[in-house]
Amino acid sequence: MKKSIRNIAVFVCICGVITLLLAGTNLITAPIIQKNQNNAANAALLEVMPEGTGFEALDMGGYSLPATVTEVHKETAGKGYVIKLTTAGYGSDMVIMCGVSADGVVTGAVCLSSNETLGKEKTYGENFMDKDANGVEAVDTIAGATKTTDAYKNAVKDALNTAIILGGGTVDIRTEEEILADNLAAALPAGDKKFTKLFLVEVVEGVDAIYVADNGAGYVCVVGEQFVGVDAQGALVTEGVADAAVITDAVAKIKATTYKEIDVTAYSDLAAYVLSAKKTASGNYVVETKGAGYGIKGGDEYHPASNEYIVVRVSMTADGKILDCVTVSQAETDGLGDACASESFYGQFVGKTASDYAEIDAISGATLTTNGYKQAVQRAFDAVNVLKGGDR
Amino acid sequence: MEMFKVLIVILLSSVLVDNYVLSRFLGICPFLGVSKKLNQAIGMGVAVTVVMLIATAATWPIQYFVLDVLKLGYLQNIVFILIIAALVQMLELLLKRFSPALYKGLGVYLPLITTNCAVLGVTINNIIDGYSFVESMVSSLGCGLGFLLAMVLFSGLRSRINESNVPAPFKGLAVTLIAASFVSLAFMGFGGIVENMFA
Amino acid sequence: MNKNSTFFVLVNGIIKENPVLVLVLGTCPTLATTNTVNGAFGMGIAALAVLLCSNVFISLLRKIIPETMRIPSYIVIIAGFVTIVKLLVQAFLPNLYATLGVYLDLITVNCIILGRAEMFANKNPVLKSALDGLGMGLGFTVALCAMAVIREVFGAASFAGVPISFMENFKIEFLTKAPGGLLVYGLLIALVYVLTKGKAPAKTSFSCAGCPNASHCHVETCSEKGAEE
Repeated sequence: MKKSIRNIAVFVCICGVITLLLAGTNLITAPIIQKNQNNAANAALLEVMPEGTGFEALDMGGYSLPATVTEVHKETAGKGYVIKLTTAGYGSDMVIMCGVSADGVVTGAVCLSSNETLGKEKTYGENFMDKDANGVEAVDTIAGATKTTDAYKNAVKDALNTAIILGGGTVDIRTEEEILADNLAAALPAGDKKFTKLFLVEVVEGVDAIYVADNGAGYVCVVGEQFVGVDAQGALVTEGVADAAVITDAVAKIKATTYKEIDVTAYSDLAAYVLSAKKTASGNYVVETKGAGYGIKGGDEYHPASNEYIVVRVSMTADGKILDCVTVSQAETDGLGDACASESFYGQFVGKTASDYAEIDAISGATLTTNGYKQAVQRAFDAVNVLKGGDR
Repeated sequence: MEMFKVLIVILLSSVLVDNYVLSRFLGICPFLGVSKKLNQAIGMGVAVTVVMLIATAATWPIQYFVLDVLKLGYLQNIVFILIIAALVQMLELLLKRFSPALYKGLGVYLPLITTNCAVLGVTINNIIDGYSFVESMVSSLGCGLGFLLAMVLFSGLRSRINESNVPAPFKGLAVTLIAASFVSLAFMGFGGIVENMFA
Repeated sequence: MNKNSTFFVLVNGIIKENPVLVLVLGTCPTLATTNTVNGAFGMGIAALAVLLCSNVFISLLRKIIPETMRIPSYIVIIAGFVTIVKLLVQAFLPNLYATLGVYLDLITVNCIILGRAEMFANKNPVLKSALDGLGMGLGFTVALCAMAVIREVFGAASFAGVPISFMENFKIEFLTKAPGGLLVYGLLIALVYVLTKGKAPAKTSFSCAGCPNASHCHVETCSEKGAEE
């Protein structure tokens, strides 16, 4: 009995000695291991803020930050912030990591998500180095990828704004859509904040875009930066408009528009790809055409993926200048191809003619969709060419 | 249902894809040492499975409710191996005392298990992989069954090797290892099956 | 050669009783970490450090440790040194730590270490135990590296992570995978047999001689083995 107590005592002593040794080692190594692990976790953060010493994730709950911001890491020594943003790029979401120094300039930016355009321009983020908001705006866009680079720039600007807000400042963080909605509501309060963009079928000189109030209260004409409200009777609601006649003329013109349906089946050469055609009293045409995008991969052949054409409505003058363009229906790949249904894409065709319509930015990663869309627009030009030759 | 799927995937991948013996090389010693006869292979395999389950049931709560709480993570290795050793000893005593028949079948293999890296491996891996208690138990069961499967398959192979005429330099261990290599090669074929099972 | 000379003790572990290729101990890490030279070398040195420390420590305490509490004491001591080595590797060689992963922890149950404690360190003075640990550790490292060189050069066409360009088209990729490890191990053991003309390794089967559990093990294989020898 005595012996076994002694044995156990020896064993406990050994355990104690070993535990002490371990505790000692742990005391030395624990901070280093902790630092190693932090470094590994912070490798991505350090890439955009090389001077950072340590980072801590910030709770964004207390701030109203731009909607694109998904994560904020504060540099522990107060050197600034690293901000992670997800922005709707052109066709697919882009995840961007951006470092902002305490004095409000970019310390680095990288695109973490794979993006076809930026993949070729891996170093694009470097252009933002040491820039403030104005500097970011002035960065060159990548040729042929205006939309992607704009999204990138906006994300970087959001990051700069975030840093300002976190530092206690205030900035306008509304998205473009929100700004537009606010402007429209301000121009025509009777419109009850619900407006739809008018599909232009008339030449309206001096007016960039017209919105119609969903409740029929009137119109809002956009002239440059100015939003002018016009009531249902055609009288200006907004005061202090420099050239009121331009606005009233434009509204009168669109209110007076009348259409004449054209029976496309009478045109055997158009029937295959023109779905409908109308002619306005003023001599403009509105045609709906279809193009073979990814849904009809490989030309007009049947493709099992969706077998749906891209259908486009285009209005143009008799001499072939596009007044407006909109996507009617499409069944392109989710995420990539369906970017062709956004105004940022089809809006590019406005004002183009048969000679320069092809010079639009392609949807990155969706060449077949872009080509199909261009095919539909080309067919609209063809159709108008035929239609203006006279009734059949 | 989702939970059930996760458990099935853990079970099958630990039995087939990440077989402890044949792809992770844990528990090679008993695999080579005690796979000469089928009954030995089964006995050892079952014993390992049982010990793995008991060890996981004991070490998982200790890691999460004692070591983590007291911030003594660095004692994991010592504590786990002592728990395993103690459990094996106790199991052996209990079997000897209460079920001599079972002791004859399983108990004799128990001392070999104390220093079996598969048992310590599975308990540590369960912690590293961040499994919940139920997931840990399923993973241990899978590892044990995988071990049993490998042992049983291999004991069949070895009885054939014993009867074949092997060149002198390869006699004994060398040919055994090469045969094990082929079994392992066959198990590589399971790679990718489990991940795609519910796809 | 004088069997008790210190030099003999050192060389014994490297060649005559090479733990991997002759005693066939510590098979798990041998197979698992030899797909890269870096991993094998790291594992070898880590095991060497643990073996050296535990041998010295156990030899120092050999008169104090009670006979009945022998194995648990050894396990605690070894597990302690393993954790120390692991913490040091994790702190100062994070890349190696990422490569070895759980196998560092599993040095605890490497039979070589417990085996040397049971067979050598508890019977011999400190200096000899240290040399034995060093020799066995070096033997382990050398054998691991030899295997890793074969597996990495022929399997991945690189050496210690540096690509060997002219091998690029002749990769036998499966050598870096699990079956390749078993195959190369088997071939190496056969090679050792040929080189020593069948004399040195008297083993025809898995070793029980070095097994720390041999004394209280009742498995038939072990007793059979005993009868054969």
